[in-house]
Amino acid sequence: MNITIDGKPCVCEPGEYLLDVARRNRIVIPTLCHHDGLPGQGCCRVCIVEVEIRGRRNIVTSCVYPVERECAVFTDSDAVNQQRRVVLALLRSRAPEADRINRLCKLYKVPEYERFASKSGEKCILCGLCVKACQSLGTGAIAAMNRGVEKEVSTPYDKPSDDCVGCGSCAAVCPTGAIEVKEDAASRAIWNREFRLRICERCGQPAGTMEELELAARKSGAEPSALCGECRKKAVADAMAATYGV
Amino acid sequence: MAIPAISDQDFDRLTRAYPSDRRYALAVMQDMQRRYNYIPPEGLTALAEYLNCPVAELYSMATFYKALSLKPKGNHIIKVCDGTACHIRGSVNLLNGIMAALGIGPEETTEDGEFSLELVNCLGSCALAPVMVVDGVYYGKVTLESLPDIFNRLREGAAV
Amino acid sequence: MNCTVLVCCGTGCIANGSIDVTEALSRALLEIGADASVKTAVKQTGCNGFCENGPIVRIMPDDISYYRVKPKDAPAIAASIGGKPVNRLLFRDEEGKPVLSQKANPFYTPQRKVALRNIGEIDPGQLADYRARGGYEALKKALAMTPDEIIREVEISGLRGRGGAGFPTGRKWRTAAGYEAEPKYVVCNGDEGDPGAFMDRSILEGDPHTVLEGMAICALAVGASEGFLYIRDEYGLAREHIQRAISDAEEEGILGDSLMGGGKSLRLSVVRGGGAFVCGESTALMASIEGRVGEPRAKYIRSVQRGLWNQPTVLNNVETFANIPVIINEGGASFAELGTDNSKGTKVFAMVGKVKRTGLVEIPMGVSLRHLIYDIGGGVIGDRPFKAVQTGGPSGGCIPADMLDLPVDFDTLTQYGAMMGSGGMIVMDDRSCMVEVARYYVNFLAGESCGKCSPCREGLRQMLQILTDIREGRGKKGDVELLEEIGETMIGASLCALGKSAPNPVLTTIRYFRDEYDAHIHEYRCPAGVCPKLTAFEIDPAACTGCTRCKRACPTGAITGGVKSAHNIDQASCIACGSCRDVCRFGAVRAAAKRRLAV
Repeated sequence: MNITIDGKPCVCEPGEYLLDVARRNRIVIPTLCHHDGLPGQGCCRVCIVEVEIRGRRNIVTSCVYPVERECAVFTDSDAVNQQRRVVLALLRSRAPEADRINRLCKLYKVPEYERFASKSGEKCILCGLCVKACQSLGTGAIAAMNRGVEKEVSTPYDKPSDDCVGCGSCAAVCPTGAIEVKEDAASRAIWNREFRLRICERCGQPAGTMEELELAARKSGAEPSALCGECRKKAVADAMAATYGV
Repeated sequence: MAIPAISDQDFDRLTRAYPSDRRYALAVMQDMQRRYNYIPPEGLTALAEYLNCPVAELYSMATFYKALSLKPKGNHIIKVCDGTACHIRGSVNLLNGIMAALGIGPEETTEDGEFSLELVNCLGSCALAPVMVVDGVYYGKVTLESLPDIFNRLREGAAV
Repeated sequence: MNCTVLVCCGTGCIANGSIDVTEALSRALLEIGADASVKTAVKQTGCNGFCENGPIVRIMPDDISYYRVKPKDAPAIAASIGGKPVNRLLFRDEEGKPVLSQKANPFYTPQRKVALRNIGEIDPGQLADYRARGGYEALKKALAMTPDEIIREVEISGLRGRGGAGFPTGRKWRTAAGYEAEPKYVVCNGDEGDPGAFMDRSILEGDPHTVLEGMAICALAVGASEGFLYIRDEYGLAREHIQRAISDAEEEGILGDSLMGGGKSLRLSVVRGGGAFVCGESTALMASIEGRVGEPRAKYIRSVQRGLWNQPTVLNNVETFANIPVIINEGGASFAELGTDNSKGTKVFAMVGKVKRTGLVEIPMGVSLRHLIYDIGGGVIGDRPFKAVQTGGPSGGCIPADMLDLPVDFDTLTQYGAMMGSGGMIVMDDRSCMVEVARYYVNFLAGESCGKCSPCREGLRQMLQILTDIREGRGKKGDVELLEEIGETMIGASLCALGKSAPNPVLTTIRYFRDEYDAHIHEYRCPAGVCPKLTAFEIDPAACTGCTRCKRACPTGAITGGVKSAHNIDQASCIACGSCRDVCRFGAVRAAAKRRLAV
């Protein structure tokens, strides 16, 4: 199937998401809530583009828009730019401390919007990636609470959660660095809970929290590893080398 | 106010009619709300175990749906309709009158645990605006003058 | 001779005491029963629509309607049967003449009941009543038709979804029928959440079987074997009636394992809504049925293809399903004779607010707003000037007086920035402030948005802040343009229909009542005398008769003055709530601009 993006001919399969097609063709569309490993959020709306089918133009959200028929796509039309600027300005007022939003605002020349009420000290844009990451690991320690303008992400009752293993996946996928992780040589603190870290037997670096390693072991049916990820890979490589003499 | 603890037996009674299937999460929590006037923390944990889903997801539902509450509600629940028809026929003044009479704001409960006040969306009785519902009984065209009488009767435990 | 006494027991009439009236009537009839030549039966019916004048009692077959009936009126009514009507309980027309039949009552005469055809006529708890009026005949007929024939009739009827968006029902069914998948679902959206709308409640309460019959026909057409009715948490009576109707119909073998013995099965169950307006959106509603948070998803893949549990699902509104049996019984072409070219049939409107006769009205599509508000509704309360009518709830808009002659149909209302929505019509007079109306809806939606996508959640947050500022005298130059800018982005970039239509009340009030925004922002004045920070009330001593009504209504005791002497408002303790103006019968209370305090 053939479509054009900003005039450039692109080939794609029916049902493929527009964002993926654009990226494959090296056309830049900004995103915040999109993560290749956790697709389908479609909520920050920064990736909006305009799609023209049979002369009719519509704004669509490229990360969740499946291409079903031939169309012309515009990623920087006036309508797209105008709406994207307002969306970015709205997100900036929600999370004024998020560096990434501020950089995008600069890049897309978003004016000041002094009239907008800013949340002070906030970095979270409520994209939900952290919740999705936690759910997909099977822990489900955090979730979106409340609704509408009161929405926030937290653990139940804002208390340390028994389900949390302190793996930090939520913080790793967060596009704006909004989840606080404090770590020293022996412990990690996240979501109001402190976890003891297991030290890698080989390199002496932290291998992960006890709970995290136990969960991984339960899933794989093996003993909790005494090595960190890097050293585990090295150990496997060493074993291969010893066996096959590579 | 004494809050009843939720025992294993109570929980079994709550879930008896529902198979262990995620689709019944909302229904069980609504029954729980009706029985205890709120969703007790131990009820949430037991349900998560019963449905085999994370507590956080149920907690999320409990904060999302207005029919559910994480704080205990009073014996009498007063719902003041703030639908459009009621709004333009003076629901705000009615609400202010109730707040003054009971000394609580919306989503609050009196200290004696008797009354909870809720400002709710349209109750679909617009022809009777402004509307107030106390314990499921509708009061139409409520005036500020009629309030003390209604509350006194409720306090005395009389059927209204 | 047999005589039936029908007592309206819709929620409105129950609130006015119709249960007590029913009991009193039964007792009164029993007492005189011994020597009466007529056999009487008392029946509780669903909502008659004229809720403002409830409780309503109808005597059949004489077709005499009594209004505002109290239990103490029961003996007089019982004694009148077969004799002279009780004059004082009759409706009075404009000239004050008593009206016997609903057919001669100006509230009812222009109406054309299709979806509401049985309501007020039958006891909703009696399956036999429904069958006596042709109930389940359409299902019987549909069982002898092919799915394609059923869908053809619905397509010919031109029926469009009554829930708000107006999507052609036949096309939806045909798409769903085209997917090869097992199972398929049929869902009835009874999560009526628009403030000011109560037609779905009325149908579910007053004629539950017609909804079930509509769903069963749909299930036959698309090949569904399971169905759900998602009913608002607040609608207890509606759920009770539907639940009973399902078990009665299953017991009679109409629903269940073998639809009317035809071999096809349909299991229907009721799901109690959780109290979230956004669940009226179809994908959010389905998420809620699945036991999750009611968040919508992107609809690029429609739910007729992947809906409940990712299976093909047809979701229609209560009123849509209520029309189906009529279409099958009388044919799609006959249905299409009513209405306009693109909006066929009738629509039920809930006419409320500052209108004389409030209630439910079913009229053919395409009649004018003026006909609806003035001929049926009797005009504005107190004959005050009409300012606007708000249609379509939070997704709709405010239509001004110079557009009263617009025909009411899907496309016309949309063209003018409003929406048919589910059919709420809120009439506003000169004492309604359009900035405050816009703020009211934005505030409502800010709490009801699911909060998933940023344009809706953050856009509403900023709009609410700006509108609150304007209302409280902190508006700034450029605010109106900024509201428009946010609104355009929400329409374009929001995830679901809630967010895409959320700016409508703001944008239409700006479009038609820009001067009110300007008065608030630039002149520090609320022309309607509603916004308390900008309004001061004064009593005109020349007009005041000293009746003390305002003094008694004042919640803060700000009004002084003795009986029969002019009253005065103490501005220091006045909160400008306007209660005094509302109760004054002499027009002595006036709103004025509050003097701007030094900032």
